[in-house]
Formats: sequence, structure tokens, C-alpha cells
Amino acid sequence: MFEVMMYDGGVYRSEELFEAIEDVGGVVLQRNRSSQMLTVIMSIPGEDKEAISRVCTDIGGVVKEVPLAGTEIAVVGPTLGRHHMPHPICDIAEELRRYGAITVVMGLARGRGKLTSQISKVEKDIIDEYDAAVFMLGNFKPCVEKKADLMREIHVPTVLVCGPRPEGVDDACEAIIDGVGRKASRMRLPDERAKLEEVADTVDDVLRDKKRSLEEDPLFVHPAEVKQILENYEPIDMCLRPAPIVLHLDGLRVKIPYEEHREYLENVLVYGRKLGEVAYISPSKIDNSSVIIRIKTRSQVEDEDRAR
Amino acid sequence: MDVDVIGEDKYGSAAYAKLFEEIMGDLNKATLIERVKLVLKPDVPLFVFSVVLKAAPSRKTIPDAATIRFEIDGVHVTITQERYAPDILRVLWARYGRSNVVQQTRFDLDVAGAKEEELAEMEISSGEEDMREIMGAIWRTMPEGIKNRKTLIDGHIITVVATEEILRPEMLEEGIQVHRFMGGGARCSR
Repeated sequence: MFEVMMYDGGVYRSEELFEAIEDVGGVVLQRNRSSQMLTVIMSIPGEDKEAISRVCTDIGGVVKEVPLAGTEIAVVGPTLGRHHMPHPICDIAEELRRYGAITVVMGLARGRGKLTSQISKVEKDIIDEYDAAVFMLGNFKPCVEKKADLMREIHVPTVLVCGPRPEGVDDACEAIIDGVGRKASRMRLPDERAKLEEVADTVDDVLRDKKRSLEEDPLFVHPAEVKQILENYEPIDMCLRPAPIVLHLDGLRVKIPYEEHREYLENVLVYGRKLGEVAYISPSKIDNSSVIIRIKTRSQVEDEDRAR
Repeated sequence: MDVDVIGEDKYGSAAYAKLFEEIMGDLNKATLIERVKLVLKPDVPLFVFSVVLKAAPSRKTIPDAATIRFEIDGVHVTITQERYAPDILRVLWARYGRSNVVQQTRFDLDVAGAKEEELAEMEISSGEEDMREIMGAIWRTMPEGIKNRKTLIDGHIITVVATEEILRPEMLEEGIQVHRFMGGGARCSR
């Protein structure tokens, strides 16, 4: 089983870490270099965790837990207007990134207002591409209760973050965190930082249920292994977009055009099987410039094999 | 700035009082405001924001934002209020030409061929811009979806009545009452 951890330290001797990751068959999920500092989020086989931790400390860095690594989370606001953005949506997104997640901030086209707020089918489909969604609503209880309808019919786990505690919306989302609401400044105070941690911990809890169900019926192949195979494909290697491959709990987002590379992706071999046989490969709902790969579970693949 | 909030939503009322103060502070408008009354009815939805300014924004001439000194071949201007520096330069350039306006330092200008009395009459701000900025700041504090607005202005008192869909007469009447309570004109009409 692959485990995810983060190295936080200097660039000095970091090549030793990358070699060690390669030696144990691990994958670098994300690499951020800022001046002489480096953070590396990696996915490595569980049995080699101790050895990699030792390399990290030997080269002068520290190992941190990143419970949300390997997930992509959407932070959704009613709009991208200055009333709803950037606080506290960006603060929440930043906190989730500290926990290791890749985050996307999204505003709805017609999400503003109490009586007129709407979410379209396309927007719901886009949100469904992520592992989880955090909805950020405002300060008035009746508005929050009314706008909670925006989260219905979204199939990924959703967490509602809002000001007052709404009533009668428990069925619309997996968790509710109150006490945030619309803000005109960054969340810097100790109680606000604690609130952000509460949001990230809640997202972690919500995703743990999803992880548990995946453990009961595991995927045919771990997304990190698919990433390892795909990252040598030239169009991905040459892709200039940040994080050309993003891991999801049950698959990957690959940032290359679907139409041009569908054939390669469907035929690439994973454990002797074509990827197209063991995964659903579809264009992203955002646009055609990225591909969503959802890996089938082992039982699903076995069922399909039997049916043939 | 004295902020009075009327609303049944406890959390929202406290949050909006804080939001209003923070946004006005960020936009440097807090010092212009004497008192504020916010009526928040998200159930309806109806929002009335009434603001009493310390003074009504008025027409400004160069001597209001700078000191002027006569010199042999022109006038020396020392800008005392930096925010008006671009406006002062703009009107001087337009009247005397760029070659006759020499900016010695950030705040000191020599204007060749100018007379003190001419500069004393030159308008740098009509007061409308200040008013527009204050209105923009009030709109920014309101919830985003509350787009249907009616603004009542009476000298230094500004009241914005806003709702999401149709602004019904009784809503406007409520706004007018708040406007009058804050000292707005009794003749205020629809």
C-alpha cells in the first residue's frame, strides 16, 4: 500500500532523496522549490516509509504528515465577485494545501442572491470531478439555509462552511462548520486559524470515509502507479501547466487534450492490461484540455472479465 | 464612526457591523463618516444602509489642497493634500501647458506666467467624485445579490435601499423613514 508524506527542508542533497524515492519505487506527487527551500510530497510503499524518513532527516529536512495529499478539492463560492472572494475562500484553500491537497477555487456563474442563486448541471458535473467540495456561504441564516440547495445533487462529499448554524440542511452535505461567514480581511487571529484547521480536519474526516470504502474494494491499480507510468509520456513531460498530473483518490487528472491523446491513454499497459480496460477515461467537464481517469475497482474489473 | 444595526439575525447583524467598519477603513472612508444605521432583513430580503457624513463633499479649488505664493515670473505651489496632486497637475497642465509647469519636488511646483487669482478659481474636484467613491464603498458592503437599489441623497446624508428583485413601495417607504430619522429631508420623495 502506498503512503503519502511530505519532505520539508533545503535543496542541499535533495538528489539523494529523489534517488531513494526512485529506488523504493515511489512517486513524487508534487515538488515546490522556493529559493533554497524545498517541499516534496511523495507517495511511497508503506514498508519503505521508515527508510525514506531516515533519508529526509539525514539531509537536514523534516518529515510532515499530509493527510490530504493525493486529493484534489474544490473550494466553491457563490461567485468570484469581491463580496465572496478572496476572504475567506482563499484562506480555506491555502489551509487545505498545507494539508497536502491540490485545491481549486471556483465561483458559480449565478450563485449570488438568496432568491435567485442557481447552480447549473455543468457546474455540478465539474464539481463532481474533484474528490470533495467545500462550499463557502455567508452571514445570514435564511440565506445559508436557502443556498444549501446548491449542494444537493452533487455526488462527491461536500462540506459547508458558513457564518450562523443553519437548520434543516444536514442532509445536503456531509459536514457543516459555522462561525466563518463573509469577511473583509484575512483569517489571521488565533481563533480564526483554529477554525481553518477545523475545516481541514473535517475535510480529512469526510474523505477518510471515502478512503475506507476504497480499502474495502481496492482499485485495480493505485493512481500513483499510473502516474509513474504516464509521467514519461512526452506530451505530459513537456506540459507547462502546473502539476500536469494530479492525483485523485480514485484516479487522476491528466492535463493534456483528450482528443489528441485518447488512443495512447486507452492503450498504455498497466500490469499487463490496457488502461482503457481498467479505467474510465473521459474528457474533463471544464474543457477538452484535460483528461479524467477513474480507475475501476478490482471487483469491477473481475466482473467485466467474467461477463466477456 | 457610530454604527447602529437593526436586524433579527444575530450573527449577521454583528458580522455586518464589523464588515462595514472594516471595508470603510480599508477604503479610507471611515474618517468621513459620522454615524451609520444598517437595517438588515435577509428574510424579505431588504437592506437599508444610511450614512451620515461629517460634511457634504464639496467643490474644491487649488488653494483648498495647496498653498500658493507669488513669485516674479509666476506662482509657486506647495501641495498640502497629496491625494489632490494629480488633479492639481492636470488642471495646471491644461491651462498653462506642460513646459510652463515645473515640478521641482513631489509637492513643489513652479508655474510660469500664472497669477494667484487665476489659480484660486481653478477647480480640482467637484465633490461628485468623493460622493461616487463613498457610494461605491457602501455598495461594496452590501450583499452581492442585492442588486436592485434606490439611493436617497440629502447633502451629507446618503441612504441606500436595496432588495433582490422588485423594490416594492413599502420597502422604499421604510428606507425613506430611515433616511428621515438620520436627518434627511422630510420632502424626500419616491
